[in-house]
Amino acid sequence: MAIQKILFASLLICSLIQSSHGAEKERLFSELEKGSLEVTTKPSREGAGVVLDAGIDKISITWKLSSTGSKKEAEFKTIKVKLCYAPPSQVDRPWRKTHDELFKDKTCPHKIVARPYDKTTQSIDWILERDIPTGTYFVRAYAVDEHDHEVAFGQSTNEAKTTSLFSVQAISGRHKSLDIASVCFSVFSVLALLVFFVNEKRKAKIEQSK
Amino acid sequence: MGDPTGEPGSSMHGVTGREQSFAFSVASPVVHTDKTAKFDLPVDTEHKATVFKLFSFSKPHMRTFHLSWISFSTCFVSTFAAAPLVPIIRENLNLTKQDIGNAGVASVSGSIFSRLVMGAVCDLLGPRYGCAFLVMLSAPTVFSMSFVSGAAGFITVRFMIGFCLATFVSCQYWMSTMFNCQIIGLVNGTAAGWGNMGGGITQLLMPIVYEIIRRAGASAFTAWRIAFFVPGWLHIIMGVLVLTLGQDLPDGNRAALEKAGEVAKDKFGKIMWYAVTNYRTWIFVLLYGYSMGVELSTDNVIAEYFFDRFHLKLHTAGLIAACFGMANFFARPAGGWASDFSAKYFGMRGRLWTLWIIQTAGGLFCVWLGRANTLVTAVVAMVLFSLGAQAACGATFAIVPFVSRRALGIISGLTGAGGNFGSGLTQLIFFSTSHFTTEEGLTWMGVMIVACTFPVTLIHFPQWGSMFLPPSKDPVKSTEEHYYGSEWTEQEKEKNMHQGSLRFAKNAKSEGGRRVRSASTPPDNTPNNV
Repeated sequence: MAIQKILFASLLICSLIQSSHGAEKERLFSELEKGSLEVTTKPSREGAGVVLDAGIDKISITWKLSSTGSKKEAEFKTIKVKLCYAPPSQVDRPWRKTHDELFKDKTCPHKIVARPYDKTTQSIDWILERDIPTGTYFVRAYAVDEHDHEVAFGQSTNEAKTTSLFSVQAISGRHKSLDIASVCFSVFSVLALLVFFVNEKRKAKIEQSK
Repeated sequence: MGDPTGEPGSSMHGVTGREQSFAFSVASPVVHTDKTAKFDLPVDTEHKATVFKLFSFSKPHMRTFHLSWISFSTCFVSTFAAAPLVPIIRENLNLTKQDIGNAGVASVSGSIFSRLVMGAVCDLLGPRYGCAFLVMLSAPTVFSMSFVSGAAGFITVRFMIGFCLATFVSCQYWMSTMFNCQIIGLVNGTAAGWGNMGGGITQLLMPIVYEIIRRAGASAFTAWRIAFFVPGWLHIIMGVLVLTLGQDLPDGNRAALEKAGEVAKDKFGKIMWYAVTNYRTWIFVLLYGYSMGVELSTDNVIAEYFFDRFHLKLHTAGLIAACFGMANFFARPAGGWASDFSAKYFGMRGRLWTLWIIQTAGGLFCVWLGRANTLVTAVVAMVLFSLGAQAACGATFAIVPFVSRRALGIISGLTGAGGNFGSGLTQLIFFSTSHFTTEEGLTWMGVMIVACTFPVTLIHFPQWGSMFLPPSKDPVKSTEEHYYGSEWTEQEKEKNMHQGSLRFAKNAKSEGGRRVRSASTPPDNTPNNV
């Protein structure tokens, strides 16, 4: 009986922790201050229909406080710059969905850089990492306060997320050495089977003829 | 049961694992032990083991058991190996939700056909080669994951890998050549359950292998491809072990299989007719699609679901998903045991109620899983759902042997195929479109389980009754002999072809429940399964 009481109590405590955790997380994207930061991106290769290669091409990203200033500037502690999916890359892919609740939002999963807030213009030359999937992207910079809560943001595209987008082609992940190893093991498997089979049939024939 | 006389459907005898009572050893004094045979385990006159010693590897019986269930489990590992890695694969191959869902459907569809063919393959080549051929010829399909570069390739490879699930048939067939029919129930049930565990093992194994390869320096999109080499190697290793350590029969290999057929061969067409025209067959096809079928579907979607919904790391999601499949270790045998237990007091009516209760409970827990908003409740709901679904699988095959004696093999095969079909259908409707989120899909799948379990109420045996109706009062129709005898025509009865069914009928009288058991005399001859 004591064990059952303990188990029940721990289950209750766990669910309470879970639910309280949830209550804290209802910070919404729509409540953040828009356009506080001006973010611009310049891919290393530009032009109509250009697709950047992950692991090879670079993007030059600059951000600074917007010309209109920000009411929450005093709270800015760190700027987190992230790579975000544009709407075409979110279609039929619910794991990339935009949610208003910040903890649920999956629009910007790829971290680029996090720097302490500085009034001067910041920039970075970022090589597209090798685990970036194929898709259309833009860049967003969140201004985060000392509690690690987002307070404001700025992005390289407009509100409808239609301008200044860039396309990336992922690495295939395939390697010649892998392909060769794969073929070798497959051939080994089939050959081993045939060798055993033929061998046993031959032994059985010899046995029978004895 | 690996019957050298090759009766159609005989390759599936023993498959249900429930022909006789679940027992660890043969208690009946009528099974003659062959005392001259030099085996580690006591054997009968056919040199089949009469005792099931789980932790022994003695040649050839227990060795066969272990080789068999591990090969079957390996095939489950490779068929569902992609599932826990989908969060990585979907980014590499730029998959949409539809692609992922279609790949899941493909992974279970191939074996619908391969399982039906495998019986014939085992009849032709013997179960040892049947198993080895399948396992070693499907190794290339597993390795070919390294070539996949888009949705089409992914779906095709998962379809081809799925063929190897036919090792279920070779596994059960092989064991029925090695174990006496009075214990084949427990042996086959354990093997089936432990084989299904592979679907859980893979959820744990693949993310860990992937992590190790990543930490060794490979990029994410290469690491998952390398990870697939592990199930591929397992195929080769198990194939070689089966060929070198295994043997077809207790006395040796297939050369001895040239026995003259003493039993009149039955006609495939006739057996098929009796299987197809028995309405209970189709109810079980549907039911198994919503116990085994939903288990397979869940194996495919659950890791990705926990990863996305609760923001877990890949191997944490894998660990939780593994709990689902691993519950098979005891859940499936437990379902069979529960059915036996209720049959002791209430006979077949008890078995039907047990099946309905367990499967419906599983469905309700599935609904709860879909609606759970916190991690803890989701895990609890998932575990309870797994127990319900897997115990229902065990309980289903506790009843199937009684549906027909003549067409048992085909009905078991059809039921098994129904499981895969149900899995493909559920994945297609609920997990392949943007119409439902995964949590909505799980909820509706649970509702569908409850709805599709209702037909159990329609299963009526004139000699034993159904869930709501008592047995028939007609003095002729209410006998077991009449039910099993009705599968034979008068001409066939004149030739005494129905003797096996009559013997079975006599032993099946225990399904009348406690009242019948205390009144009847104990069976006075060995129940014959051949």
